[in-house]
Amino acid sequence: MIEVEGLTKHYGAVAAIEDVTFRMAPGEIVGFLGPNGAGKTTTMRILTGFAPATRGRATVAGYEVHARPLEVKRRVGYLPERVPLYEEMTVAAFLRYVAEVKGVGRGIRRAEVARVMARCGVDEMAGRLIRNLSKGYRQRVGLAQALVANPPVLILDEPTVGLDPRQIIEVRKLIKALAPEHTVLLSTHILPEVAMICERVIIIHQGRIAAEHRVDAAGPSLEDLFLRAVSGDAAA
Amino acid sequence: MINTWAICKREFAAYFLTPIGYVVCGIFALIAGLGFRALLLEYARMSQAPTDYGFTTVPDFGEFFLHPYLVFAGMIVVFLSPLITMRLMAEETHRGTAEQLFTLPLRDREIVFGKYLAALAMLAVMMLVVGVHLAIVAYFVDIEPVALVCGLVGVFLMGAAFLSLGFFVSCLTRTQITAATVTFGLIMALFFAGNMAENLPEAQEIAVEGVGPLQPILIGGYRVIRTLLQQLAADAHLEELTLGVVRPQDVVYHVLFAAFFLFLTFRALESRNWRA
Repeated sequence: MIEVEGLTKHYGAVAAIEDVTFRMAPGEIVGFLGPNGAGKTTTMRILTGFAPATRGRATVAGYEVHARPLEVKRRVGYLPERVPLYEEMTVAAFLRYVAEVKGVGRGIRRAEVARVMARCGVDEMAGRLIRNLSKGYRQRVGLAQALVANPPVLILDEPTVGLDPRQIIEVRKLIKALAPEHTVLLSTHILPEVAMICERVIIIHQGRIAAEHRVDAAGPSLEDLFLRAVSGDAAA
Repeated sequence: MINTWAICKREFAAYFLTPIGYVVCGIFALIAGLGFRALLLEYARMSQAPTDYGFTTVPDFGEFFLHPYLVFAGMIVVFLSPLITMRLMAEETHRGTAEQLFTLPLRDREIVFGKYLAALAMLAVMMLVVGVHLAIVAYFVDIEPVALVCGLVGVFLMGAAFLSLGFFVSCLTRTQITAATVTFGLIMALFFAGNMAENLPEAQEIAVEGVGPLQPILIGGYRVIRTLLQQLAADAHLEELTLGVVRPQDVVYHVLFAAFFLFLTFRALESRNWRA
């Protein structure tokens, strides 16, 4: 579903990511793990067509991102790290706008918006201005806009940031439930989160893939893996 | 097409979900109204005692009221236009919504036209104020409706041209303040271009010594620049339109102006795809 090969992105002389390669099968939930500034967001921005790569190929749902951006964008729901919200709109109006742009037909738009609002638990906030929402609700509205039109691929950049513990549990459950139908790539730096939601973890450090592991209760603990990866031993 | 409409609707609604739409329209209505009143009273005084003002008969309504009024309205539109365009892209960049805008299944042209149409719609709302003023005079004065419509369209065209300039600047800046300030500066420069050109001497008068065969090239180049400056002046192209005279070069000036900056806007948006 997602194929990334030799992806490299330079900002001037600084390499944000260097030769990143990985694959994701349909229906997989993969955790993208790494310290701050490791290149998680950069990789996700390239995959969603927001920023071009300096080198390398990224293919999402069978389409090369740079060559066929529109086809990719139709199939990807994206929650950026900085949740993009038009503050002056109400939750429902904002989601209706997103649905319209994503090509949800006029007849089913209302139902689609109601569906994602219920799914993300923002239905009681439908008529509220986004400006007045708490951080947790904003995060969930952001998640809701990614889910609009039910795209097969979801790219979620730190989806649980700013939520309270109860909401975190709900959102994790929600993401886990997306699994067989959707392919989900989510970034985080919360280790237990990966253990709970993901089937596989890709650890990225200083712009390079440091380790890739199946999440397995019997195997080595995630913490060990992570610490080994970011301390540089993984390369050996 | 549907997407252009969706963007346009959202953008236009945003003007009136925030104070900016009301502020711009309110200021415009106030200043245009004051100008309308002052110019109308002035014309009334002139027509009651034409000889005091050096006229032999009642002065022409089109030339002595309609024309100055429409030019005045056009100027206010142009100088308020940065307030309409400043948010178009800079706000998205600043709030981070650009990241969503550019990852939704939208073509660049849908984004550009959608946003530009929304700005034009704002301009149309402002034109309603002018329309009301013109309807009032049309009721009392025997004047050709064509002249009124022509003047209104002239002001609209000029506004549309400057909206495209502001839109382009908004694409290059990260904050609305910068966008508005830069746009405002460019508008001033364009208005002063005409003045500057008038003060430049004729090409024949500048004698350059000791350049030999380069002389004709220099003079030719100078002549081109001088003519360009004269033609660039935005106010010059509103004059005839507000007198009810439609000259192709005036219409073309505004349409090309808008097309040019919309083209640059496209390029500015596109640049994100090749700045790898």
